[in-house]
Amino acid sequence: MSKNFNNPIGLVILLFVLTLSRISPTKAQDDLLQMLEAEQSKDPIYTIATFKATRLINGQTVETISRNHLNFWISHRFGAVNSGFIANFFGLDEAKIRLGLEYGLTDNWLVGAGRSSLEKTYDLYTKYKFLKQSNSIPVTVTGLAGWAINTMETCYGMESGAEMRFNENLERYSYWGQALIARKFNERLSLQLMPTFLHFNKVEDPSISNDLWALGFGGRYKLTKRFTLSGEYYHAFSDPISYESSTGKVYPYQDAISIGVDIETGGHVFQLHFTNSRGMIEKHFIGQTVGSWADGDIYYGFNISRTFSFDKAAKHKDK
Amino acid sequence: MKTIVKLTLLIFFMEVGTAWTQTLYGTSSGEISFYSDTPLETIEALNQKSGAIINSDTREVAVQMRITDFIFPNKLMQEHFNENYMESEKYPTATFKGKIKEQVDFTIPGTYSVTADGVLTIHGVTKPVTVKGNIASTEKGLKLEFKFQVRPEEFQIEVPSLVITKITEEIDVSGRMLLVKR
Repeated sequence: MSKNFNNPIGLVILLFVLTLSRISPTKAQDDLLQMLEAEQSKDPIYTIATFKATRLINGQTVETISRNHLNFWISHRFGAVNSGFIANFFGLDEAKIRLGLEYGLTDNWLVGAGRSSLEKTYDLYTKYKFLKQSNSIPVTVTGLAGWAINTMETCYGMESGAEMRFNENLERYSYWGQALIARKFNERLSLQLMPTFLHFNKVEDPSISNDLWALGFGGRYKLTKRFTLSGEYYHAFSDPISYESSTGKVYPYQDAISIGVDIETGGHVFQLHFTNSRGMIEKHFIGQTVGSWADGDIYYGFNISRTFSFDKAAKHKDK
Repeated sequence: MKTIVKLTLLIFFMEVGTAWTQTLYGTSSGEISFYSDTPLETIEALNQKSGAIINSDTREVAVQMRITDFIFPNKLMQEHFNENYMESEKYPTATFKGKIKEQVDFTIPGTYSVTADGVLTIHGVTKPVTVKGNIASTEKGLKLEFKFQVRPEEFQIEVPSLVITKITEEIDVSGRMLLVKR
């Protein structure tokens, strides 16, 4: 050791380094911030707002609403845009309406109910977010289960032209289950996959299966902070050939394709879209869409959602 | 030569000495809240996971918080705050680092009114600020309280004209935290 101290150059360097370390307070400050950075909670950072709302267009998104929050949905699908100006003002003379409410039981679990004017149908559903995308998990996974009851008088004429006869009330029920898998790729782009199963207690023709599998694909692209493009496509794995061979008629149902925009203004989300489906619940738009884009059966529609907070717990906590 | 050796050793031990007496007070559960009140809307949020460190010798202060840890009574507001205003995926934290101007000896119990000069980083924008507050030195540690105002536009936080009447131009930020000796 003493040999080292006898080297004056080494001493000067040592002195210099020590002095330098004393006169650089900014370095010490950065150290404090670095210490905070190191101590910062390692809790996962969850991805927020994969989609703007709980609905993409007709179908659901992975989003649920927060605990004690209530969403009120007002949805309209006007008549076909090709139904003429004089006769129908391009469809705006008539509309199918769905009014819906959904409530967050927890931050990940909601229950909802609605009433569609199409086939005078009431629907109930529940949605639970099983997995949340975060800095360690790549996707959000939400499960949806729904039920609907058709309250039309028996022997009514369906949109497809067929006559529906109910012999008992149980036949008015239909059910669906859906897995929603979404990933927010970046702040603009989110994509979602929706494998779906539907069951109709009664279908209009025996050659149509009571069970229907479908696969949906959708997504959104944010153009600006409050203006978003969205699209949605559901392919139903139906069996048109067996229907056509047994009835001799063209299979009436189509895949639902919708495109639209979301406009967000504070507590409201406005969704404006074009779709070939007039139904706004899974049973209708996945299973019973009769419009065809190719034939110009395009319906203009909108959804408006308003969120109300009934969560007073977090309020005035700090006062 | 001997004197140089002695001098070096002296400085060296002084360094070690100060390093040993450096007293740090810290917390990772500090409360920071902000408040904006207009006739149309009251906006408030609370972060209870803010980190802070005070070096009582150099009187340096550092505060850091995650933007996503701000809890709003209205979750939709919280989502908009993170998505549209703070862009918390791009800018996940807000920090303050600075130095307390007053020559205060925190080893003596009492309440001191203090002023810290430093830089505040929000939304990726760094601005010099002066923050006034109180530090109470108690047996439990240092109780820090402060209050200051932030203008969102200074930190390039865009407020659309549609909601401009719902958000005050200056937002009150206040903090309360107990920093314990490390």
